[in-house]
Amino acid sequence: MLLKIVKDWVSSSNKLERLWLLAKIEFKLRYYENKLGLLWALLKPIMDIGIYYVVFKTVLKSDVPAFASFLFIGLIIWNFFVESTTGTTQILNTKKYLYEYSNMNKLEIYVSTLFSNSIGFFFNFVMFLLFYNFLEKESGGVSAHILWAIPLFLNLFILSLGVSLILSNLYVVAKDISQIWQVFTSFLFFLSPIFYSLKVFKEALPSFDYGNPIAGIIINARRVLMQQTYPDYELLIWDFVYAIFLLFLGLIALNKLGSKAAEKL
Amino acid sequence: MEKVIALSAKNISKTFEISEDSHNTVKHRLFNLFNPPRKKKVPALKMTSFEINKGECIGLLGRNGCGKSTLVKLLAGVYPTDTGYVKINGSTMLMNLGVGMSHELTARENIYVSGSVLGLKIKEIDAIFDTIIDFAELRDFVDTKIKYFSSGMVARLGFSIAVNAGADIMFLDEIFAVGDMKFQEKAIKVFESSWIEGKTVVLVSHSMDTIRKYCNRSGYMKNGEMVYFGDTEKAIELYMADNQ
Repeated sequence: MLLKIVKDWVSSSNKLERLWLLAKIEFKLRYYENKLGLLWALLKPIMDIGIYYVVFKTVLKSDVPAFASFLFIGLIIWNFFVESTTGTTQILNTKKYLYEYSNMNKLEIYVSTLFSNSIGFFFNFVMFLLFYNFLEKESGGVSAHILWAIPLFLNLFILSLGVSLILSNLYVVAKDISQIWQVFTSFLFFLSPIFYSLKVFKEALPSFDYGNPIAGIIINARRVLMQQTYPDYELLIWDFVYAIFLLFLGLIALNKLGSKAAEKL
Repeated sequence: MEKVIALSAKNISKTFEISEDSHNTVKHRLFNLFNPPRKKKVPALKMTSFEINKGECIGLLGRNGCGKSTLVKLLAGVYPTDTGYVKINGSTMLMNLGVGMSHELTARENIYVSGSVLGLKIKEIDAIFDTIIDFAELRDFVDTKIKYFSSGMVARLGFSIAVNAGADIMFLDEIFAVGDMKFQEKAIKVFESSWIEGKTVVLVSHSMDTIRKYCNRSGYMKNGEMVYFGDTEKAIELYMADNQ
């Protein structure tokens, strides 16, 4: 099925254009509609970092070096995940106008929305690099290992797409999935190594670096961006398999439940 | 001319399940584990098969609630079929009053999104953009959000996009009810010009004149069943008899 989708996309040349168009419009809707505009996209992670910095560094005296950067990279990855999952639970409802009158592939709606989130992520990532290189006192600078960020982001993208597909298609038959997912994400947030040092995290929650699909991505992102080492390959491969498995489940959900979206929503 | 099949429907049918109490939350499902919902089955479309050739204009007749719109939605691929399959050759577009546009977007954005969904490239949309706007008479409102439009304006825009961008197979569900008299005249003019040639059109209408004028074949439906599919005059006759 995946092969067919890919072939379908390559053969018809306006699809990439369309994805980009939809992503741009989505991005514009999100950030240019309010007064603060794009500034808001940049301000939010900074404010989050400020809060967690005060709590964990000033109050709880965390001993993680370069803690602000440590938080920064963890939070932008987490925010991308949450925006792409919680933010898309009702996507089949809000984007109904796209599939209600044509035989457009619904998967395109998801991919374009995630592209739009990726634009936001890219801005934040550039901000992180600037911050880490020019403002962070304990910075080790960046090296060629930064290229590992590309497969890591791909991994994050697949994971988010999979979870987003599962949730939004469950929404067709269970409207309260968004509330359930909100509780679940706040739980997952504290079970992810976002503000704990890796050592504390592994001791307190053994095997959670494997059980939690987002934990490995954050751990590896810090390795390649801040510690200038290779990623933990075992963890990287495991997370890819995890993400692809969830994507597979998501595609099944889209076929089974999503196809009825037009009549049920 | 060799006949090319644009759309073939084989043994398609559709039944809607309507539950009396809304069983669509996890909570509700848990609390009513041993109390399954009472479901009512509504057969919206009974088993039917037919083929439509490329370039044909097909009329659909029938009284309200006979399943015309359901059939059109099945053919357009908006609803999945319960049995059988619909094979479509090309892009489809379903048009009735105002669907297919987001009220959060401006007229300009809607034109680009719809055009793109219909399979056009950005450059091609650039080329027909002015035509669409002028035809819809919305020059002064290009960058206004659709939600501030009157319903007539939205309908005009939708019609204009459909006429100018157009998919390979168009399903037109009562579109001649759009706009004021002047716009209707314009719409009919477009229909009579070369537009309809080469396009495959399925036209749902209660106006016998329209159907008689444009459709070479028609289907007549009653209670979710395709009673007759073929000659337009015969279909109109049956429909008239039903209305007595």
